[in-house]
Amino acid sequence: MSVLGADFRRDFEIRRYPFLVYGLVPLTALVLQAWLPRLLGPYAWFDLPLVVTVYFALGRRSPIQGTLMGAAMGLFEDALSHHAIGVNGIAKTMAGFLAASVGVRIDVENFTIRLMFIFVLSLLSSAIYVFVYRVLLGLDLDWGWFMALLTALGNSAIALVMFPLLDRLQLQD
Amino acid sequence: MDSFFTRYRNLLVLLAILLAQIVGLAVQVRRTGAGSNTLDPRDEPGVRLIRLWANALVSPPERLIHSSKLGAGYLWQNYLDLRHVREQNRDLQQTIDRLRLEQAALLEDARQGQRLQGLLDFQQKYIYKTVAAQAIGTSGSDQSRVFYIDKGADYKLDRDMAVITADGIVGKVRDVFPHTAQVLAIDDPTSGAGVILETTRIRGILRGNGAGQPQIVDLLADPRIQPGERVLTAGGDLVFPRGMPVGVVEKVVRDPERDSFIDVIVTPAAHLDRIDEVLVITSTQPRFSPQQQQDLATSEALKGSEAAAIKEQKKASEVMAERLPGLTDPKLPPDQQPLLDNSNPNPVAHPPQALHPDRFTPGAASGPAPATVPDSSAASKPEAGSKPSQQKPGQEKETTPDSGTTRPVPKTTPRPASSPGRQTTPRQAQPQQTQPQKDEPRRNP
Repeated sequence: MSVLGADFRRDFEIRRYPFLVYGLVPLTALVLQAWLPRLLGPYAWFDLPLVVTVYFALGRRSPIQGTLMGAAMGLFEDALSHHAIGVNGIAKTMAGFLAASVGVRIDVENFTIRLMFIFVLSLLSSAIYVFVYRVLLGLDLDWGWFMALLTALGNSAIALVMFPLLDRLQLQD
Repeated sequence: MDSFFTRYRNLLVLLAILLAQIVGLAVQVRRTGAGSNTLDPRDEPGVRLIRLWANALVSPPERLIHSSKLGAGYLWQNYLDLRHVREQNRDLQQTIDRLRLEQAALLEDARQGQRLQGLLDFQQKYIYKTVAAQAIGTSGSDQSRVFYIDKGADYKLDRDMAVITADGIVGKVRDVFPHTAQVLAIDDPTSGAGVILETTRIRGILRGNGAGQPQIVDLLADPRIQPGERVLTAGGDLVFPRGMPVGVVEKVVRDPERDSFIDVIVTPAAHLDRIDEVLVITSTQPRFSPQQQQDLATSEALKGSEAAAIKEQKKASEVMAERLPGLTDPKLPPDQQPLLDNSNPNPVAHPPQALHPDRFTPGAASGPAPATVPDSSAASKPEAGSKPSQQKPGQEKETTPDSGTTRPVPKTTPRPASSPGRQTTPRQAQPQQTQPQKDEPRRNP
């Protein structure tokens, strides 16, 4: 675990990517999230937009950027569904903000911490989704926490592979 | 003030974005008359615009991926993997022949049904026109069971059009974009389809549950509903044509919220998890389409006479089996009945032609026509030694072709001279006629 202070590490470890990466990676995540369930059927236990949101939030270490990225990804997911637009948006906005805020203070280079972090954020995102749907909107929602748990595990597994791959795309000074 | 915004900039941005989304959500939800909240099924213009943008952004890559996959599959299937094609072709040809026979046999029933429906002023809707489409993507969420197809307004698709496969119904068109359309599957909790159980004729509404299984809801507990029963569309929802397969009852569970109600879990006939090609029903009409009429005419012309002959033969053998109880052994299965044994070890010789026919010559007798078994040989050639003069008053003669036995039958209603295929005696009434004959002596020729 690093002993550097938060502000120093933030200035030192902010990652930068080519401009295209900010557009193509989220778009690829959205397209794959919409397309892969056709192949995998009921076994599509992952949320690629959430993984990408958390990755960029952790890498950029900017809560505002994490918030905006989460909101955009969530709204796109909502727009592709037939549910109200904004439910996933709120959930992923919170996830992006929290990822960036916490990423400033802990060492997210450690793989174990990364996996635990994405696991917890996945469950938190699901909880916010259910809260907004049932409490804020007052709508009926059949929800299974087992599926949410599987999705969180799937996100952790994907992050294990995807984060090192995305790390290769960052700009080197 | 400046320092406040600078210090809490992150939080303020977060709150602003959350607030904007909450306001946006509030616009989309409306309160029903029953006091509960619901989502407006028809999107507001602003919401629809966002969906349109998202679709325009995601659909092209999806179509590209799908086209690449199709291209690779086409290359493999049509150029590289052509083994067993001849065998498949032969099998398919045999299947077509068999289906033509079945279709021709069913044609008359279909026409009769149409006539009866016309008499009852009942408008049966037939599928008139369909558009084939490919599924190219999903919503990406298991909470929203919708998928996208590669046809949209450019193919004149519209909301609430039924989407089916050869196996059964799939869903209905929920939203139409210029080149794509969003289909709401029947296993989504917000979907709804009018269905009917095939044997018990119990009607209900089909919708999905949280586990992604279609279920018939709001049914009163009924012990007649058993697993395995087929579920069909009822036709009352003005979306799906009547009588289309929906699935099979998987199990019956109690409604957790209401004691006397049950939920019927249905295994869908269509493979909803692996949807590839679908048909969108764009038009239904109260009559057969020209294509269907042409198919029926072709079937009738090609195989109709053959099917009719087979039907008549079956009917004749059924009648024969009922009139000859000695030839059916109740202890044997139907396929081992001696009646079906075509190998006759002792063929009966036909009588020689009479040199000087008189009134006793077989076939020359006048009077009421006997009821004969509809077999051409029996109808035209009475067996040797049959004596019409032996019949008792008040009885008609019945001749069985193979044995040449003549049995008296109590005279009931005068029947016209039978010909092959014209025997219309109800089957259930037959044993009542033949039963008294068992006690009477048989007359051998």
